[in-house]
Amino acid sequence: MHKRIKDSALLLTIGVLFFVFSFPMNDWFSLTMPRHQVLQLPAMFTLGIALAILFKKVNIHAISWGIAVLIMVMTSLIFWMLPRSIDLTIVYPWFNRVMHVTMLMAGFFTITVWRNIIFEIKITFPGMVAAMVLATGLALRTFTILLCSSFTLEQQKETGLYLIVIGFVLFVFMLTILFRELGRAKKEE
Amino acid sequence: MKKILPPLLVLAVCVAILWKWTYGFSAFTVFSYTLREAGAIPRIFPDAALIDQDSSVFHIKDKQKYVLVNFVYLNCPYVCHKVNNRLEEIDKAISPEIIPSQLELVTVSFDVGNDNIRKIKNYRNRFGSDIHGWSFALPHQTSQSEFDTFLLRAGIWAKAAPGGSIINHSIYLFLVSPENKIVKIFDPAREDDASIIEKIRSCIKG
Repeated sequence: MHKRIKDSALLLTIGVLFFVFSFPMNDWFSLTMPRHQVLQLPAMFTLGIALAILFKKVNIHAISWGIAVLIMVMTSLIFWMLPRSIDLTIVYPWFNRVMHVTMLMAGFFTITVWRNIIFEIKITFPGMVAAMVLATGLALRTFTILLCSSFTLEQQKETGLYLIVIGFVLFVFMLTILFRELGRAKKEE
Repeated sequence: MKKILPPLLVLAVCVAILWKWTYGFSAFTVFSYTLREAGAIPRIFPDAALIDQDSSVFHIKDKQKYVLVNFVYLNCPYVCHKVNNRLEEIDKAISPEIIPSQLELVTVSFDVGNDNIRKIKNYRNRFGSDIHGWSFALPHQTSQSEFDTFLLRAGIWAKAAPGGSIINHSIYLFLVSPENKIVKIFDPAREDDASIIEKIRSCIKG
């Protein structure tokens, strides 16, 4: 009974946060590029992760389907980092909400795959995401042409810097998994 | 073998979505996508009635000479004025050799709600009296939706950002031939004045 109340409270919190980020705070997030790309997008992904933690029974066991889901997650991350997509999310709030739902689902399905996926993919996936985030960050940092008309060149460069930092953090995360799993394998031997 | 099918199928679908969304991985911004979607050049420049700073109504197609067309709005905080300052330099560099006998410049405001003839006249006066063959214009007797369609057909992205004061827009310069065909499109963010002038000259020389 206690667990059920706890889960319900967590579900309600996720729902409220999703609503607040997507509606009352949407204008604030959409005001600058760093807020939109470095705060709002990861916030929705994190809410998806929290949702997956709540629904522990939803798991994808088959490796082939796990990889397929991770490809979809990767594609959605690429899609919402494209300048055209970013501009359209600012012009059309409904399109921004499509991004929110997609990111929520991406976070959710990443965890449902993560629980059962093999070690090699656990390394490859964050490595690929880190490489993509780093490449995007470097591009935004070095481009002297405004890519998203909704924002300024300064904001574009600032976002680039934050993405480079996030990329490095993801690499560290990947290395942590690698050495932890290698240590575990050695112990088992 | 069966196991590889789901990831392969999903990968194919995902690549197809990204392919479609970026016009075959060639247009990643709203500006380049709108331009690509309007069609390859040379293509007909869409027709719209325009009214200049002296209240004369005209059509680009009736000019019967080369016309360098760009689109701005007067409340633009930065980029439109920067592009027009570049156009001023281009105008001075090739005038009176080509301008106005073979080439005219037309700057069109797409902010139908805010800009008017008095404003564009005052704005033009800021560039001094020695800008020959350079008209500033507004759409004439055209609704906003009709003009938006015209802009999309030309390949220009212009949408008001939430809040209304800022309009996100493309800054391309269109070189329209005497046959009313867009023969060159310049991106002032990527090309310097010398390169634009050289290309205009070579087009006019044929």
